[in-house]
Amino acid sequence: MGLTRREFLTACAGGLVLGASSYLLWKEARNRSWDERIFIVKAPDYQADLKTAIQDGLRHLGVSPAAIRGKRVLLKPNLVETIPGAVHINTHPLVVRGAVEAFLSLGAARVVVAEGPGHVTDTLRVLDEAGLDEILWEDRIPFIDLNRENGYTVANAGGCSRLPSLTLPVCLKEFDIIVSMPKMKTHHWAGVTLAMKNLFGLMPGSFYGWPKNYLHWAGIDGCIVDITATVRPQLAIVDGIVGMEGDGPIMGTPKPVGVLVMGRNLPAVDATCARIMGIDPYRVVSLATAEGWLGPLREASIHQVGETIAAVRTPFLLLDKVPAQRRLRT
Amino acid sequence: MTEPPMSQGLKQLRDRALADGGFGIQKGTNFRPDATAWAIMALQAMGAEAELREAARQCLAAAQLRDGRVSISPDHPEAFWPTSLAVLAWQGAPACREAQARAIAFLLSTSGLSFKQEAESIIGHNTELKGWSWRSATASWAEPTAMAMMALEIAGNGGNPRLAEAQLLFLDRQIPGGGWNYGNTTVFGQVLRPMPESTGMVLSALGGRVSRETVQPSLAYLEGSVTHLKTPWSLGWALLGLGAWGERPASAQAMIEACLARQERISSYDTSSLALLLAAFQTTGGLTSLWQT
Repeated sequence: MGLTRREFLTACAGGLVLGASSYLLWKEARNRSWDERIFIVKAPDYQADLKTAIQDGLRHLGVSPAAIRGKRVLLKPNLVETIPGAVHINTHPLVVRGAVEAFLSLGAARVVVAEGPGHVTDTLRVLDEAGLDEILWEDRIPFIDLNRENGYTVANAGGCSRLPSLTLPVCLKEFDIIVSMPKMKTHHWAGVTLAMKNLFGLMPGSFYGWPKNYLHWAGIDGCIVDITATVRPQLAIVDGIVGMEGDGPIMGTPKPVGVLVMGRNLPAVDATCARIMGIDPYRVVSLATAEGWLGPLREASIHQVGETIAAVRTPFLLLDKVPAQRRLRT
Repeated sequence: MTEPPMSQGLKQLRDRALADGGFGIQKGTNFRPDATAWAIMALQAMGAEAELREAARQCLAAAQLRDGRVSISPDHPEAFWPTSLAVLAWQGAPACREAQARAIAFLLSTSGLSFKQEAESIIGHNTELKGWSWRSATASWAEPTAMAMMALEIAGNGGNPRLAEAQLLFLDRQIPGGGWNYGNTTVFGQVLRPMPESTGMVLSALGGRVSRETVQPSLAYLEGSVTHLKTPWSLGWALLGLGAWGERPASAQAMIEACLARQERISSYDTSSLALLLAAFQTTGGLTSLWQT
């Protein structure tokens, strides 16, 4: 005895409701299983003791000295372009130095700084003009220009963009710990640029071009998630001492916030930073896409250590003329 | 007695040659066509290592794909920007004439994506003008377009309409206050900043093709920037760009030597940057002057 048309449609509708409910229940269960610690520390300016702040952060995050001892650590700051005297565009050299010193003090076997700017084919010039060259020379820290590196190709572990695979710099294979060290900024294509978006700088320009426009055309928000899901950095340290608001990531204006934000899960770090910036993380497409399976956005699943978000919230200027920034406000 | 910087630089470059004659991005790394092409250009400019040059040219030819492109790696045919470098590296080498012809044909048959601009466009330049891209199915950008122009010019294709269009593209993408960057002018109404390496490359490509008046703001920008440049890629291109317009500073060679010496501080430069500096030392003109007798 076959189904009537009405019975068939009712069964289909029921199946859809059941499927949607199951998905929502799975998502809820997945979210509840996260319990990420995110550390916020106040740092009034770049002359603060950032090494100690970062050491404290690692301790609060449960990163023991044993987890660092003997490991090879790659620090990936955000270097884009430079303006003489500007501190709001690039990850500040003293934040990088603080991280270098913190990891070395915990017994890291090797600490290297690496970056591949998206617009500039002369990475060493940005390094020099940003003042990081001087710091690396003084501390004898090697630097790798990721844009010039040879590449190796891996499957896209995220599946959120049109990229079937990702080509990463071969040097990544040499490191045990990858640390995303972004600047806290708005972004005119992605809404915000934080620990996840910072990973675009891992993608060698020799394979992706300058700018890495191919990643935008493949779906910038999906690519942000895919690179994070594929590379899986172990840590993030966000330079929010002076961030950028308005027309980020380059042409915006300085926004003093006075914090470092640290965590072991990049979506949770970025969600916290978004809240500090007065932005609803669920309105950031890449974060909403990452939620649940890559990391939590819900405050209930993020254990805030150190300062509270409320104590340091500093609403960033968002521009109505920038589609990616419209409707980001909480 | 300390060896002169240029001799050290040549030795450094020579030491990077692989067994089959190709070059990697650093000593002991695998073959890379961009590094190999730049090494050939530098050795050619210095009149050095004729046999090594020929071997390196053959390595490049072996890396060429059937349609004439030379890509960053065999697994990434889409990243074909080294094709222009290969055309330059093969220039004047009879044994590579056919390879060069195929590469030229490829360049002339490919372009960056162009599209009709919306009335209320976020970006400020004309998206319908075609130049060259870094990889397939992406837009035209300043540096691959400049390199393609120079490659086609030196290989005898200077009159091709593609170069005339690329010229228009550059004049359209010149930043209002002078200079070029990677290829944008304004985004969301904000005028972007120029970059010395891009400006130098474009000025080198436009040398002799447009009036001085049209590029005077860019020349002024680069003249103001060059004395602050310490890194090889920017310095090399700034000197070549100014040289293409007869504005190379008198202290150019001293600047190059100082830049070479900075390797003790940072780390050894990648092969392309090292080679660019060595090549720039050899001429007072633009890049294409290296092939003009």
